[in-house]
Amino acid sequence: MLSLGIGWTGMMGALGGTGVGALRFMFPNVTYEPPTIFKIGTPGEYGAGVDNRLKKERQIWVVRNERGLYVMVAICRHLGCTPNWFGDQQLFRCPCHGSIYDTMGNVVGGPAPRTLWRAGVSLDTVDGQIVVNFTQRQDPDPKGTPEGLMVEDSVREVSPFFIPLA
Amino acid sequence: MKKWFEDIQKIIVETQIWKSVFRHGYPDTDANRALVMFSNVILHLHPVRVRRGALKIRFTWCLGGLTFFFFIMLSITGVFLMFYYVPDTRRAYNDIKDLGTVIYFGDLFRNMHRWSAHAMVLSVWLHMTRVFFTGSYKPPREFNWVVGVLLLVITLVLSWTGYLLPWDQLALWAVTVGSKMAEATPVIGNAGPFGPEMGFTVQNDIAFVLLGGTVVGQSTLLRFYVLHCLALPLVAALFMAIHFWRIRKDGFSGPL
Repeated sequence: MLSLGIGWTGMMGALGGTGVGALRFMFPNVTYEPPTIFKIGTPGEYGAGVDNRLKKERQIWVVRNERGLYVMVAICRHLGCTPNWFGDQQLFRCPCHGSIYDTMGNVVGGPAPRTLWRAGVSLDTVDGQIVVNFTQRQDPDPKGTPEGLMVEDSVREVSPFFIPLA
Repeated sequence: MKKWFEDIQKIIVETQIWKSVFRHGYPDTDANRALVMFSNVILHLHPVRVRRGALKIRFTWCLGGLTFFFFIMLSITGVFLMFYYVPDTRRAYNDIKDLGTVIYFGDLFRNMHRWSAHAMVLSVWLHMTRVFFTGSYKPPREFNWVVGVLLLVITLVLSWTGYLLPWDQLALWAVTVGSKMAEATPVIGNAGPFGPEMGFTVQNDIAFVLLGGTVVGQSTLLRFYVLHCLALPLVAALFMAIHFWRIRKDGFSGPL
């Protein structure tokens, strides 16, 4: 009876160990994906207004207003398409279902249920470059108004989603 | 407590699911023992009747079963390796290196695959040696001997195609040498007897088909990957099914 118990325990242990090993095998320690935290140069490289140049490479817009600088994620909050920037209208328009956002990320038209995400930003203390954390997302609850879904600038322009600049 | 346990057991064993899986009682009577062999797909591979002498381990040494065991091991570990390996000349070598450094138990799975492959080639040879020395290739088993020879060839080609996949110097030159041998095939190789006379050159002979080109390159890696992971295992499984079916029909040879 003891040997039977040892046998069953050993077999279950071996099976369990194999199962755990096989499961752990499916989670690699390194993934070869684009970095989610990256540097995009110093604030001086970005003038007033929306900068469209990093949309393709990093899927972000860098925006500078009179108070400072923030980074918006170029993912439509309706179904995840990439909106386009129209400088003449000062609007972001999504080509998929027509969601429209203003330069603050407020929804001014279309089916999008929430405002654009803003990504976490900070200044590197060594070289002064802007460090973007793409997975750190600011997502405040918007207020429904006749103009669209709005969020106060004072709610949005807080650390770590805003870099105040003189 | 005991009655409660027995009630639950009774409910479980009377469900349709239980009865559809376990179609008979414990094999403690001759009738149930026969039913076990008939209704279990694994056990039914064994012949219905076996001579007492042929059941001795010292007659078969379980070598055929061991070969099948290694094939199963290779199939399972191979599927795991396929999750991380891409047959692209630019990353194949690094994917193999990653198995050792980036992926938990990656080295374990790779080494299980590698050593099972070595062991399978060895056990196939020993199995055929045993069959030869016990005269088990003689009629009515000569058909199964030929199926076994085909399985030997498939095993060796599986081993050879797997050899290329790490895409290191050893792999590259081993397959280069092997493809030179293919070029020397009579009639269908450009360097073999009657090959040039048949109009075969390096551009159109059997080695070209094998490599997908004239040198070992990206198309070779992809061809060998498809052969190694898909085509050859399927063909091997088909011939194994025939092999086992013939064993069941012919019975084991051996002393009375």
